Amino acid sequence: MNKLFLLILCIAGIAFSCTEESNQTIDTDNFTIIFDNNKFESSYIPIDIRETPDGGYLVLGGRRLNDSNFTGIYLLKADKFGNFVKEIEVDETSVNPIADFTAFQGKYYFFCMDPLTQVAQIAEVDPELAAVTITPVQGGLTYPSAASFVDNGFVLLSYDNGNKESIISLVTISGAIQASKGYSIGTGEDIEEPIINHFIRTGRQYPFAAGKVSSNLYFFNGFYNYTFSLVFTDISSDDPAGVVQGQQDDGGFSAVTSLGGNKFASSRFNFGDNFILPNKDLSTTGNTSSTDLGGYSLPEMVENAKVRILRATVDNKNVLIYGTDTKSKQIGLLFYEETSGTFISSRYLGFSNPFEIASLIQTADGGLAVCGTTYLAGRFPRICIFKLSKDKLIESVN
Amino acid sequence: MKRISLLLVCCLTIMTAEGQEKKQKKPASPAYKEKKAREDAKFLNKQWWLGLKGGANLSKVSVEKSYSAIAPTNYDYSDIAKRYTNFDLIGSQVTLEATFYFKGFSFSFQPTYQHTRFIYTTSYAWTSTLEATNHVELNFEQEQKVDHAIVPLIVKYDITGNKIRPYVQVGVYAAMLLNATKSVFVKGIDNAAGGVNEFTDASVIVGAKDLFADNHWGLMGGAGLNYNLGNNVRLNVDVIYRYGMSNIVSAQNRYASDRLSGIGDVMDDLTLDNLAISVGCLFPLRFLSSGFKTLDLK
Repeated sequence: MNKLFLLILCIAGIAFSCTEESNQTIDTDNFTIIFDNNKFESSYIPIDIRETPDGGYLVLGGRRLNDSNFTGIYLLKADKFGNFVKEIEVDETSVNPIADFTAFQGKYYFFCMDPLTQVAQIAEVDPELAAVTITPVQGGLTYPSAASFVDNGFVLLSYDNGNKESIISLVTISGAIQASKGYSIGTGEDIEEPIINHFIRTGRQYPFAAGKVSSNLYFFNGFYNYTFSLVFTDISSDDPAGVVQGQQDDGGFSAVTSLGGNKFASSRFNFGDNFILPNKDLSTTGNTSSTDLGGYSLPEMVENAKVRILRATVDNKNVLIYGTDTKSKQIGLLFYEETSGTFISSRYLGFSNPFEIASLIQTADGGLAVCGTTYLAGRFPRICIFKLSKDKLIESVN
Repeated sequence: MKRISLLLVCCLTIMTAEGQEKKQKKPASPAYKEKKAREDAKFLNKQWWLGLKGGANLSKVSVEKSYSAIAPTNYDYSDIAKRYTNFDLIGSQVTLEATFYFKGFSFSFQPTYQHTRFIYTTSYAWTSTLEATNHVELNFEQEQKVDHAIVPLIVKYDITGNKIRPYVQVGVYAAMLLNATKSVFVKGIDNAAGGVNEFTDASVIVGAKDLFADNHWGLMGGAGLNYNLGNNVRLNVDVIYRYGMSNIVSAQNRYASDRLSGIGDVMDDLTLDNLAISVGCLFPLRFLSSGFKTLDLK
C-alpha cells in the first residue's frame, strides 16, 4: 500500500512540476500576427521588414490610394511580441516605396518617388516611427525600382522613361549620386508598357533587383535590350560586362543573391515555370541565357512566383532560405545548404486564408521573421508576421 | 453464457442466504452480543472501499492572459476579444474510487477520465467609409473538447454515521492531457455582393492536443452522499468543484496550428474550473464475517 501512495505522489509531483506557463521568451520566440484595419477599402502591401534594437519590428509597406494610380507609403511598428505599436500613412506627396528597407546607424532608409515628377526620393525614419523625413535623390533619377545597401551606400536601379533606359547608380545616404549608368531597354512603346504597368500596379510585378558582386562589379535585374535580364556592369562602361538574358518579359531571374565570386543563389521564371538555383556559377561576362541554367523545378510554386532569398547561419551552418508563394496559398520556405546547394527541408506557413510572402529576415535571437500578406475574410489584404524560434529554425536545417 | 451467469448468481445468492441463516442459528448471549458489537465497531473504524462512478460536468474557463493573432490598427481590441460562455456545454467523467476510511475521515484516490467542453466566440467586421452597403461581418464560434486523466488526492469527512452518510471533501488534483480537438464554425454576412448574403463556411475541425498543456493542477472541494443499501453496497452521489490553478494551454505551441492562426485564432492562457456530478457504487474490501456483512449494523 505504501508503494501505491508513493506512486500516486510521484505522478502528482511530475504533473505539478510540468505545468506550462507563458513567459516573455516563449511569447517572443514564436507568434503569428495579422494587422487588421476595419476599413473595407483599406489595402496594404508589405514590402520589407527590419528588426529594431528593442526587439520589435518595422514593416515598410504600400497602401492603396483612392486618388492615385501609384501606391502610398505605409509604415508599421510592432513590439517584440508582435503587438501593434504604431502606424504611419505617409502623405501622398511620396509614393511607390521599394525594398530594401535598410538599417544604418540607428535609422531606417528606403526609396520612394514623387508622384508628379516621378523623381526618386530617399526616406529616413527612426525606430519608433516618430517622424519620416523624405528628400529627393540628386541627379533627377526617376522611377526607383530596387535598391540594396553595400559599402555604406545604396546601389539603386531606376527607370528613365524619357531615354527608355534602366539606370544603375551608387547613391549615398544623403541622396548624392556617386556613379550612374543607363542601359537601353530597347525602343518602342511595347517594351515600356510592362514597366509602367509594374509601377501603377495594373500589371505584373517584376522582380527588379540591384546589388554588388565584387569590388568593381555590380548587377541589376531589370529590362535591358528588350529582355528582362541579369546585367553585370562596372557602372561606367557603355556596354554591360555581362548579361544573362531572359525571355523578353516571360523569363528571367525572380531573385538573385551574390555568394561571392561567380557564385549566386538565385531562382528564375520561364513562361510561368519556376526554377531554384541555390548555388550556381553565373557568367558575369559575355551573353548567356537563363534558360540554359536548369535548376530545381518546383510545381508547388505559383506561376512566375515571387521569391525571396535569405542567407542565414543556423546551428553553425550556412544556409539559404528561399521564401515563395505556393499554389496552396501558403508561404513556402525552402532550406538549402549554401556551400553545396543541397536541399535540406521545407516548411509552409499560413492556412485557411491566403498568404503571400513579402520578406524574411533572421532575427537577433537566431529565429526567423517572415513578413507577408494575408487576405482576411478571403479578401482584405493585410500585413502579417510569422516569428519562428531559433529551435524551429534548427529543426528545419537538421 | 447468459444461462451460466444466471446459474452462478443463483448459487451465490443461495450460499449467502445459507451463511446468514447459519449465523442466525448460533445461540448468542447478551454478553456475547455486547462483545461482538464492540469488536464490530472497532472493526468498522477502518475500511477500504472500491467503486466506480460516472456523471456529467460543466466547465468554466478564466483568462489569465489574453492572446490574439489579430492586432487591430484602427479600432479597439475589445471589439474582437473572445467572449467565453461558461457552464454551458455538458461534458462527462468516469471515476474509479479507492477510499480508505478511518474514524470518520476518508482518504480517497479517484483517478478520473474527464471530458470537458467549453466555447468562445469572436466577431470581425469591415465597413466602408465611402459606401455604406460595403460591409462584411464574420462570426466565429470555437468549441474546445478536452480529455484529461485526473489524478486527485481527496480527504473526506463523514458528517453522520447513519445509513445515509453525507460527507464533505477537499483535495488536490493533477491532470494529464489525453486528447483535444477544436471546432471552428464560421458564419458571416456580406452586404457588399449586391444584397444581403448570409453565409456559413465549412467548419474547421482540428486535432488540438498540441495546443493544450500536457499537465495542469488544481484544488477541489465538494460534498456527497453515501446510501448504505444493506447488502455491502453503498450508492454514492458526489458533487465536486475542481478549481484550476495552472494554465491548461500550451504556451510553447500556442501558434502551432496554421489552420487556426490563419483565421486569427490563438488560445488565451486559461485555467479550467469544472463542476462535476457523479453517481456510482462503492464496495467494501474488508468483511466482518463470511456473510460479507460489513456495513453499519443499524
